[in-house]
Amino acid sequence: MASTEKTQQSSPTGLLHFLIKYNTIFIFVLLVIFSAFISDVFFTSVNLSNLLKQVSGIGIVSIGMLIVILTGGIDLSVGSMVALLAVAFAMFINIFALPLAVLMTIIIGFGLGSVSGYLVAYQKIAPFIATLALMTIARGMAFIYSKGSPVTFETYGGLHMSNFANNSTLGIPNIAIVFLLIVGLTAVMLRYNVFSRIIIAIGSNEEASRLSGIKVNKYKFLVYAISGALAAIAAIVVASRTNLGSPNMGMAWELDAIAAVVIGGASLNGGKGSAINTLMGVLILGLIGNILNLLNVPSYPQQVVKGGIIIFAVLLQRFENK
Amino acid sequence: MTNTTSEFRLEMSGISKNFGIVSVLKNVNLNVKHGEIHALLGENGAGKSTLIKILSGVHQKDAGQVLLNGELINPKNTHDGQVLGINVVYQELSLVNDLSVAENIYLHKLGASKFWMDWKQINADAQALLDSLGFDIDATAKVRDLSIVQKQLVEIAKALSEDTKILVLDEPTTVFDPTDTQKLFDNLYRLKEKGISIIYISHHLEEIFKIADTVTVLRDGINTGSRPVKEVDTDDVIQLMIGRELKDLYPSRNLELSEAPVFEVKNLTAQDTFVHDVSFSVKAGEVLGIAGLGGSGRTETVKLIFGADKKKSGEIILNGKEIKTNSPADAVGYEIGLVSENRKEEGVFLPLSIQHNISVTDFKAISGKSGFIHKEKENKNVRSLIKKLNIKTPSSETPVKNLSGGNQQKVALAKWLSIDSKVILIDEPTRGVDVGAKVEIYHLINEVAKKGVGVIVISSDMPEIMGIADRILVMQEGTIYGELSKDEFSEENILRYAIGKPLKN
Repeated sequence: MASTEKTQQSSPTGLLHFLIKYNTIFIFVLLVIFSAFISDVFFTSVNLSNLLKQVSGIGIVSIGMLIVILTGGIDLSVGSMVALLAVAFAMFINIFALPLAVLMTIIIGFGLGSVSGYLVAYQKIAPFIATLALMTIARGMAFIYSKGSPVTFETYGGLHMSNFANNSTLGIPNIAIVFLLIVGLTAVMLRYNVFSRIIIAIGSNEEASRLSGIKVNKYKFLVYAISGALAAIAAIVVASRTNLGSPNMGMAWELDAIAAVVIGGASLNGGKGSAINTLMGVLILGLIGNILNLLNVPSYPQQVVKGGIIIFAVLLQRFENK
Repeated sequence: MTNTTSEFRLEMSGISKNFGIVSVLKNVNLNVKHGEIHALLGENGAGKSTLIKILSGVHQKDAGQVLLNGELINPKNTHDGQVLGINVVYQELSLVNDLSVAENIYLHKLGASKFWMDWKQINADAQALLDSLGFDIDATAKVRDLSIVQKQLVEIAKALSEDTKILVLDEPTTVFDPTDTQKLFDNLYRLKEKGISIIYISHHLEEIFKIADTVTVLRDGINTGSRPVKEVDTDDVIQLMIGRELKDLYPSRNLELSEAPVFEVKNLTAQDTFVHDVSFSVKAGEVLGIAGLGGSGRTETVKLIFGADKKKSGEIILNGKEIKTNSPADAVGYEIGLVSENRKEEGVFLPLSIQHNISVTDFKAISGKSGFIHKEKENKNVRSLIKKLNIKTPSSETPVKNLSGGNQQKVALAKWLSIDSKVILIDEPTRGVDVGAKVEIYHLINEVAKKGVGVIVISSDMPEIMGIADRILVMQEGTIYGELSKDEFSEENILRYAIGKPLKN
């Protein structure tokens, strides 16, 4: 007999309940307040816009990671893909028109993601392994095509890419607008579109999904391809900021992206996660770096603090699940 | 302390338990004699599990006392319970598939005594235990390679590896076919003769009458009485369980069949399983039963039809036209539905809402070309199904894992009603479902058939399949051995076909 006598937890009420439910936002707000108290420079527009610019690349990659994680998979290749695609974009823009270069980069990203997707969905290779292989391949190719040094691009038809990338519209840095648009679009898709229902169903129970008539393989294939395309957009964003594509870009971004998604309350088993919370996760990680920089804390202790925050966030989510 | 010569080995009296503000057990008594098989019955949620968990030490009681051999006991955790000789075999098996039988049996002791493992000794001890229980199982076999019945027996052996005084079996026969159940019963009789007290929980009432000495029924956390099995019949017990008289367990079938079959299968043969040369047809409005022993290929057959397994040859014909179901997506496209026997792993999405569960087959209907969901359309559809199927839930947003087994099963059915399936394959419609919900599901199947859907039902529960089917196919070794018309229905006839024997005249 299935025990249906539900174990009634003495559920925390009021404010505490609210805080646990919205723990990611709570941590974020707490960090903002803390930052404002501790540093005069924090709430300056220069600092805030720098912060947004810094997190935009990783943020875009994190959204791709979220979509993959929702199906119960993982994509370790995103960091290396950013490097390869940034190099590719730098090379293209030296040859082709800007829109064509952008388009080609995104298509290549989609194509590389499709390789992971094919291996996972149709060859049944564990996502960890398939994307680990792609991670090594992409990094290697980035070094091969760039011959080991950054590929620079100066101008395109009189338009400095770095101008667009470093400028702001209505006070928000342009690349942050790209990032926030992607977050918004994903949030809307995840809330209102059938696509999200399907990938969440797959992440929650793959076999039941298959037996409900969902074309599981098609969607598993698609999420990796989308993750690849988003890595391409991230690559264009970071390359534009500095006017170069370097094979060293995106180092360990896959780990930051996973951390952001997990801090955002997603389950690595799949079936649970949201775009807004992932945005919070990205901002939290960015904020920690930012405030520690303002406090002149060297980068090694910063890593320790980051790790601590990840543990704290995940422990807090445990209350939520009860 | 009470006297130690009490006729009862176990006396639980005045047991109460609350979870938060919900009172799960109210002043419950349970007395079990030496060497007795004591059936504990009740609908899901009646408090059986909680009572057992208090006995075994998982939960702590709020009031009452528990006497074991006349001595007050108060186990704080399952280990305490085991030390006292109380062992529970839960419905969900807790064996480690990749370890051997012997390792599983002594898992709790491995490494406790010595640094080095004496595998010879462990294997020999385990084999001796299995032999003494009369279980025909090799102690060195990997648990993965055992049949489901053997696994259950290993669980029991594991429980008995301790000096067990009270053995609790929670729905041990859920996955058994009749011959397996008989084997288990033979073993239980042997344990009983050794003086072990057995508390037996089951939804299969006919089992209770076969095996139990005494029956105790819980309803809504209250003990509605303990009686010798000899003094009660099925109707009494059902009445005690649901608190009202149950008129019709099975709906009366009103047969209005179409002339031509709605669905036909011809010489269907599987590529990867032993299912071969399966042919049958179903008329619109008909409930076709498929019986057979566990492992006779029933589940494999419906999975083959549904496109979940690969076909080698054969035809599937829907409304006179041949169709190809190479994947479940194809089958669903032709409005064929499958309710899996394995509800939690294949039937429902436990963490997701009822709404999400029901809509999963129906995204096309509730969303436009753009893929954006018409929330109102969806809500309306889901609400009407919740109402129609009488799914007991506070809201359509409730995660399915919070529902009882019966209500989960209704959700698994609802997703196929949502798309107006033409053919529904239902594998074990009421496994792990309590009596009240069972009746509802039977009536639902009846209604669905009335609407002209071809319904194919697999069941190991013989009274059930005879109660709901209009015709029964009996499978044996991967193919259909025989067909029984309604006037031929009997447990004996089903069993004869199931073991490959012709009917007696």
